[in-house]
Amino acid sequence: MKPTDNNAALRNYSALVDFSNLINSSLDINFTLNNILLTCFGKFHTTKGLIALLNNERIFEVQAYKGFSEQVLLSFPLLKADDYDSNEKLADFITSNKLQVYQEIKSSEGLKGLIILGARLTSKSYDDSDISFLRTIVNVGATAIENCLAVDKLKNVNRNLDSKVNQLSSLFDLGKEFSGVLQIEQICKLLVYSLIGQMLVSKYAVVSFSGGAIIFLENRFDEIQIRAALKVCSKDCFQKVYNRNELTDELKSIAEAGVDLIVPMQIKNETKGLILLGKRKNELAYSKSDIEFVSSVGSLAIISIENARLFKETLEKQRLEKDLETARNIQNNLLPKFIPTFSNFEIAAFNKSAKMVGGDYYDIIKLDEDQVLIAIADVSGKGVPAALLMANIQAFLKSICKMKLPLAEATNLLNDLVAENTSMGSFITFFWGIINNENMELTFVNAGHNPPLLIRNNRITKLKKGGMILGVMPTVVPYLSDTIKLESGDAVVLFTDGITEAMNVKWEEYSDDKLEYLTLQNSAMDSIQLLDEIKTSVELFTIGAEQSDDITCMIVKVI
Amino acid sequence: MAEFNANLRGVGSVSVIDVKGYLDAHTAPELENVFNRLVDLKQYQVVVNFDDLKYISSAGLGVFMAYVETMRENQGDIKFSNMKENVYNIFDLLGFPILYEFFKEENEAVKKFSDPAKS
Repeated sequence: MKPTDNNAALRNYSALVDFSNLINSSLDINFTLNNILLTCFGKFHTTKGLIALLNNERIFEVQAYKGFSEQVLLSFPLLKADDYDSNEKLADFITSNKLQVYQEIKSSEGLKGLIILGARLTSKSYDDSDISFLRTIVNVGATAIENCLAVDKLKNVNRNLDSKVNQLSSLFDLGKEFSGVLQIEQICKLLVYSLIGQMLVSKYAVVSFSGGAIIFLENRFDEIQIRAALKVCSKDCFQKVYNRNELTDELKSIAEAGVDLIVPMQIKNETKGLILLGKRKNELAYSKSDIEFVSSVGSLAIISIENARLFKETLEKQRLEKDLETARNIQNNLLPKFIPTFSNFEIAAFNKSAKMVGGDYYDIIKLDEDQVLIAIADVSGKGVPAALLMANIQAFLKSICKMKLPLAEATNLLNDLVAENTSMGSFITFFWGIINNENMELTFVNAGHNPPLLIRNNRITKLKKGGMILGVMPTVVPYLSDTIKLESGDAVVLFTDGITEAMNVKWEEYSDDKLEYLTLQNSAMDSIQLLDEIKTSVELFTIGAEQSDDITCMIVKVI
Repeated sequence: MAEFNANLRGVGSVSVIDVKGYLDAHTAPELENVFNRLVDLKQYQVVVNFDDLKYISSAGLGVFMAYVETMRENQGDIKFSNMKENVYNIFDLLGFPILYEFFKEENEAVKKFSDPAKS
């Protein structure tokens, strides 16, 4: 061996040691690749070189280069790990850019990449010892590269993990917050802050579906545009998540409004609302994990929104119920508070509304020492409207009594008043009569009401005479009255259809027959006993069923 | 309940918000109020000093996203300073550093407003 050879070997050896120390001191991939190139440049006196590493798809990607323009880099061919060395494009690239050698970078795990170097300035070509030195450098470098890649990978895994942990803690945070909030506005604020903070968006909207209406709880898009875009689509469109590239056909106009992501908020698979997000500020697409986060937050939020809505509804209902209770009290005050007593007959009465307020009405008004007016009425419909009309007729009746008109004439007047004061379709079935304690005459007019039953000697007579129901039209045909003489032991049973049409659980009606039979059987009872008997019988019949109509009953018993 | 405080003070033409304690979904509205006040006062140059902030959640970060556009549209900005590492990590994790400027010291951030050329 010549001393020059020795010297060269020594130089090579010390360069290798330096190189090895240097590149193993860093875990930065760019630093490592850079140093491999620089070491080669120094050793081989070349000015061009690049390192391409295999990516996840096993395709070569240039990771470091020197002495090339970016233009040249763009012409780097698409090479696969399996067949790159038989690929003519690689050979073309090498010759067209005056490159000379390429060397595989291999680690214990196999092929990692390629290093390609240009011609030497000394214009000598690479000889065997150069190639073997290059191989050594690359071998040392391969381990360093692998370490760097592994660290990068680990960093990535760690970052993803951190990001998941962060999303989870956000969810946890929100879950805690949502449960304590019952105002929809505040829930939406929290939801939106979490979304924009986590997703880096500034355009967003939270939409809820209420019946057919679309309500914007939060919106940073153009409201007119987005509303029009959403209207085109039916609610059923939004059963799944839509990413930007899936916003086609009828959803296209939504994308045009700037929406990149639609996430439905569902309760039991029913879409109750939507989260719409715009472009992310960091230009990234929404990943699977991002969408999972948005969905989870959305689910949490919609349950809270729904709860808040129900809470509000309950409050409103409670208020309404209170109003109704007041109405009921007023109505109860309209019914007679006590029943006058007479020497020859006794009266008992009972009323029960199906709803909080009802449309049945009865009255007992003492006209003078000997005369009493009894009335029973059933206003069409139920609830508040019926109750209002009932209050009306009560007022009319009280006024008309004072006029001391014959009953038939008074009925004409009453009908005119009611007809004038009711809207289309409301009417009242009405029966009234005056009993005279002196001569024991009952004069009555029946305006379309269920005929009261007169029970005498185990026979029933129905008190039908009168005219048409009140309120349909002003009086054209005058009402007729009838007068009968009451006898000792007679019972008169006045009732509304709430009794005869009371339903049991099998949807059967109590029926006129049952009422007539019952009253015949018990006609000997006094008024209160008979009333109780009827009440109990109806109650037993309807046991388990909901009361569907108001119930009113009045008994006059001649002593 | 975790405590949070947001204090507003002026340094020249720049508004500095000192945030303190725990900024999460629950306390975010407080910070929002401060930003609303700034927008009302037309103060668009804002530095947020994180020196005393112990914890931030993504809802807290959301507040900064919600106001940064308004500030920038009016020739202002929101800049961050004096952030502890654990707090910065959250910002970093969610990609804020490409959208916002972070400074070690408050006065560097304040200076940046008066002399944008220097960094």
